[in-house]
Amino acid sequence: MLVLTRKSEEGFLIGDDIRVTVLEVKGGAVRLGIEAPADKKIYRQEVFDRICRENQEAAQWNPTDLDALSESLKGVEKK
Amino acid sequence: MKTLTGTRFGDIEYDPEQTLKFPEGLVGFPHLHHFIVMPQTKPGPLFWIQSVEDAALAFVLTDPCGFFLDYAVTPDAGERSKLGIGDEDDCLLLAVVTVPPDRKITLNLAAPILFAPKTNRALQVILEKTSWQTRTPLPAA
Repeated sequence: MLVLTRKSEEGFLIGDDIRVTVLEVKGGAVRLGIEAPADKKIYRQEVFDRICRENQEAAQWNPTDLDALSESLKGVEKK
Repeated sequence: MKTLTGTRFGDIEYDPEQTLKFPEGLVGFPHLHHFIVMPQTKPGPLFWIQSVEDAALAFVLTDPCGFFLDYAVTPDAGERSKLGIGDEDDCLLLAVVTVPPDRKITLNLAAPILFAPKTNRALQVILEKTSWQTRTPLPAA
């Protein structure tokens, strides 16, 4: 892992199209400004990790459960 | 036609031209680009997709708007471009369903799937700023 020390208002570039600036360091938290092309998605790590875990969980299911479930869900759907 | 062996559904014959394509894979599964949409054995809101790249992986999907009338996610220009569609083309919403052992299923409304029928492409998007939950239980009937 590359480790850099930056002060408030200093920044760095990732490639030539992503610019990260340290806006404020206060009370154990760092506020970062990120400029990146619109197609570069930016996620907080814990949000991304949660979706990864949920997808892994969602891949664990048993086909025999599903016919019964489909049947029981018919009444739940609103339309 | 091709055959995919060793899935939880047994061996599946499928047309490689007709697979559902995820250009970016699913979140946490970036290598899964092609899925077979499995025919429904019984009518109902759930359907399932089987990964072509990994026979062990299949997901249950549903249309979340059938359960949550106020759920709406609109693709931005970048997402439309990845889906290969223009501003006028339809983009439907799907949610990944988690089926825990107690069968109390939940929908992942924090990371819906955008689906473009025109191109048969799909994209799982993470909603960073949303109050919808990763494990949203179904509303009471």
